[in-house]
Amino acid sequence: MLKKKAKITYEYSSDGIKQSILRNARGIGLPDGWAKQIAKRVASDVDKWIEDKEIVTENDLRKQLIAELKDLCPDLAYAYQNHDKII
Amino acid sequence: MCIATVILAGITQASLQLGLGGLILLYHNSLGRHRRRKTRYLAKNYIIGSCAITFLMVCALCFLIGNFFSGALATEWLVICVGIMVASGLIMLLLYYRKGRKSTELWLPKSITRFIQRKARTTNDGIEAFSLGLLSSFAEMPFSLAIYFVVANCVLNMSAGWQVFAIVLYTILTAVPLVILKIFIKNGRNAVEAQKWRVNNKVFSKLFSGSAFMILAMFILAFWVM
Repeated sequence: MLKKKAKITYEYSSDGIKQSILRNARGIGLPDGWAKQIAKRVASDVDKWIEDKEIVTENDLRKQLIAELKDLCPDLAYAYQNHDKII
Repeated sequence: MCIATVILAGITQASLQLGLGGLILLYHNSLGRHRRRKTRYLAKNYIIGSCAITFLMVCALCFLIGNFFSGALATEWLVICVGIMVASGLIMLLLYYRKGRKSTELWLPKSITRFIQRKARTTNDGIEAFSLGLLSSFAEMPFSLAIYFVVANCVLNMSAGWQVFAIVLYTILTAVPLVILKIFIKNGRNAVEAQKWRVNNKVFSKLFSGSAFMILAMFILAFWVM
């Protein structure tokens, strides 16, 4: 699996997704246990989604992450959705 | 009249949004990577940095006006400042926030916002947070420079004891939104809640900033120019 951003292609990492979710979850003050559960579940769902795809863009991946997070933790989904829209 | 001008100018500058946005970014990214205590330390340094540039700018302009404008700005210069403030007020009302988006993105060069975003993500120690605070306030200079000139001019019209008080008061007033955000997050809220509040009240902040610039411009026109 590969993901592509600004014409640079690099390997998809499930662990990277988990770490990113954990960082953002801590950023909004979620308890560690809950954050880990969310990270594990979302990473596994994204793994399944990406399985049959040869190449995806960073943007597609983010959209998928947001869609998965919306049900589990709306605040976390909001953080992903708006991380580059604050200033 | 001088103190009233300083207070009004402080409130006007406090209504600018870049510093607040930078602090929200810093809080969100830092809480994800560090302990709360370290995040509080970084936020404190950010606020001190923001205050430092405000304080130094007013002092530097006092020095400039004192030495090169013979102690006070001429009426023509004040009129130019009023013109810039009216233009800034209109920009605040019409352009400051990017249109048609449910966000608080500002009409600033993308390179500046990206740089601040990147720095907020990677800030790890106090001095970096301090320089980020400096930078965020400095990036607002196109809007705040005219205000700084007016404040420096007012300060020079005061007696020596009041001059220090006025500069300190102005600096504190400009930091009030940052301190409120710090208290908000210290009381268990998070950066997302703060950002949601900003998005929901975007029209209010736009009107507030625009009106503050206009009122300050009229105030200078009425009491300092005429």
